[in-house]
Amino acid sequence: MGTLRDSELRGRMHISFLIHNAYGIGGTIRTTYNLARSLADHHDVEIVSVFRHRDTPVFEPGPGVRLRHLVDIRKDSPSYEGEDPAYLRRSKAFPVAEGRYKQYNELTDRRIAEHLRSVEADIVVGTRPGLNVHLARDTRRGPVLVGQEHLTLDSHSTRLRRDLRDLYPRLDAVTTVTEADAEAYRRGLRLPGVRIEAVPNSVPEPGVEPADGTGKWVVAAGRLARVKRYDLLIKAFQQVVADRPDWRLRIYGGGAEKDKLRALIDRLGLYNHVYLMGPANPLDPEWAKGSIGAVTSSLESFGMTIVEAMRCGLPVVATDCPHGPGEIIANGVDGRLVPPGNADAVAGALLELINDDALRRQMGRAALKDSARFDPSQVAGRYETLFRELAARGGTRGGLRGRLRTSVQRSRGALLGGAYAARAALRGGHTA
Amino acid sequence: MTTSADLPLRGAAAPSVSGVITGEPGAPSEPPRADCVADSAGGLTFDVVPPGRPGAAEAWDAALLLRRRGGRGAPADELRLPLVPAGDGRLRAALPSTVALPEGRWDAFAVSAGGEPERIMPGINDLRSLLDRRPDPERGSVAVRIPYVTKNGNLSVRSWLRAPHAEAGEIHVTEESVSVRGRTFGRAAGPDAVVEARRRGDPETVRTAPVTGEGTRFTFSLSYPELAGPWQGGSEAWDLWLRPAADADAVRIGRLLDDVAEKKHIFTYPSQPLTAPNGPVRVGPYYTLDNDLSVRVAEDRSQDAAE
Repeated sequence: MGTLRDSELRGRMHISFLIHNAYGIGGTIRTTYNLARSLADHHDVEIVSVFRHRDTPVFEPGPGVRLRHLVDIRKDSPSYEGEDPAYLRRSKAFPVAEGRYKQYNELTDRRIAEHLRSVEADIVVGTRPGLNVHLARDTRRGPVLVGQEHLTLDSHSTRLRRDLRDLYPRLDAVTTVTEADAEAYRRGLRLPGVRIEAVPNSVPEPGVEPADGTGKWVVAAGRLARVKRYDLLIKAFQQVVADRPDWRLRIYGGGAEKDKLRALIDRLGLYNHVYLMGPANPLDPEWAKGSIGAVTSSLESFGMTIVEAMRCGLPVVATDCPHGPGEIIANGVDGRLVPPGNADAVAGALLELINDDALRRQMGRAALKDSARFDPSQVAGRYETLFRELAARGGTRGGLRGRLRTSVQRSRGALLGGAYAARAALRGGHTA
Repeated sequence: MTTSADLPLRGAAAPSVSGVITGEPGAPSEPPRADCVADSAGGLTFDVVPPGRPGAAEAWDAALLLRRRGGRGAPADELRLPLVPAGDGRLRAALPSTVALPEGRWDAFAVSAGGEPERIMPGINDLRSLLDRRPDPERGSVAVRIPYVTKNGNLSVRSWLRAPHAEAGEIHVTEESVSVRGRTFGRAAGPDAVVEARRRGDPETVRTAPVTGEGTRFTFSLSYPELAGPWQGGSEAWDLWLRPAADADAVRIGRLLDDVAEKKHIFTYPSQPLTAPNGPVRVGPYYTLDNDLSVRVAEDRSQDAAE
């Protein structure tokens, strides 16, 4: 298919997502489904899942979105491939330094390559670095190639970054979820000719009425992991209780830190004020019970829970940690940003909103309004524009308008790909 | 309002009618799903999304059936609420606060004419009006219904019906005691009110402590050494009852007035190490699976390990 003619630019696009496992639970899966569902209103959209471990996906992909898999690892399935000899041999194409390397193998190498060599799509979107590398190396000439980064560049090892620097020049675009990370890609990787664009994750409108700001509850939600710094939030809440014992805190989620947090709550004597609620799904009705959201992480690639809380009408007090919170919250307008790691600052901001009903409600209304920009329709619109512009200039490795640039790009891509291949050879693998 | 007692229990034993409930042959059978909204008076509204097939809503000459778990199929163990079209292809059933729902766990089913009851999956439970509920203390009873998701992922409703009721609030533990603040609904704690700690499985053994009442509020303190005294080994429970006056029936103390169907693992309190006559124990308050307040005296394994 290659380039789209001008008449086609306004028409339907065929968009194909490549994802690690569309049948599981996780932020990338949810956000990909949100995006795919919205794009499917006007385009042909398919999601290709490298793995399939269960019969039905946990989340609903949505009407009009086709879902298929490349490798079947359902043990009770007649087409189970988990014992295929190729499945048991290490991958030679997937980057070793990628977090999911161990799950990839010769069978996935082959299936992904076959899929990408024959993919019938105008736009192919990869959803993690290892798959973006596959996109760069295996896709037939023609489609526009977009690599999504759902984490951040600085979360990757030096080795993975080197692989990405070598192979990403063959992509048409790399998308990040924050401007801060887009800037890191522009400065840190130098990918000439590759468009780097920040497109935030989307959060749908909640299925409940927004909070009215009258409940005396602060709500937090997320994995009980160290990086979320719930210990900081609990310590801050001790100061809140000293001033306003009529307010309480609910923390939703499960995780490794649970026992430690429980012990902290007991040690501080906060067991009448701070509750570990366990996991909740869906979360929207739980946000709606609160009047203030709290996020005290030391790191947030994006900050999905901030947006979720705002979409339920809660002003959020968040640490201004890398990367997302500062791009989501307008400090003092629809929430409060405080320095990371500072319990006094968290307590101060919470009390500011607790002690001023009018301010809290005003910020809650602003949060509701300002978070509409994360609606799947808005985010899909940004992707749609990006896809059309990329298609108009021609896919990196095909297309009329892009041909001149493309030949340069391709030879460089081949050269850099060669460097990647040389290193792969050194580590005992080879490139396809 | 119609209750099961007024309606024949059709459907329960009737054969499944394919195409109505289970859909086209070969089509994946998607169970009905219900969103649930609670009002502050204790009423519930269920919005049922019938299985996603064209015409499914029309085919649903339907009812929402609540069946008490552990019941024996007696009329009192079933409550049938009519499902009426609510637009958007949804069907609505209401369980007003005025309809009594005996205490227990009630599994929710959708029933269509001639169809077999089909377990309902939970959608969105909007329970915000249950939070910090303050029913009128002058009313002699408290009715609480909390929709929740079972371990198997189905929708059920937990119901409590207490007349009168003693609601536990803040709990404070010290090294040797637990003190509880609460509110009464129905009969207030009088000058001779006491709290009774009843040793579970041993009705003869009761420890009492005075209760201070002020209007509908009450407070009491229980001494841990008293409860640890008779400890024989393993884990023992003492159930807490409020006796508002010498001539009044005792009322089980519980915590019911919010949106948390199962408090046991959420409302938790520190336990204290103590040396009982029969060895080291840990003592602390906890909520039972019925959200009633008890005190546990259990062998202290950490001290064992330290010795």
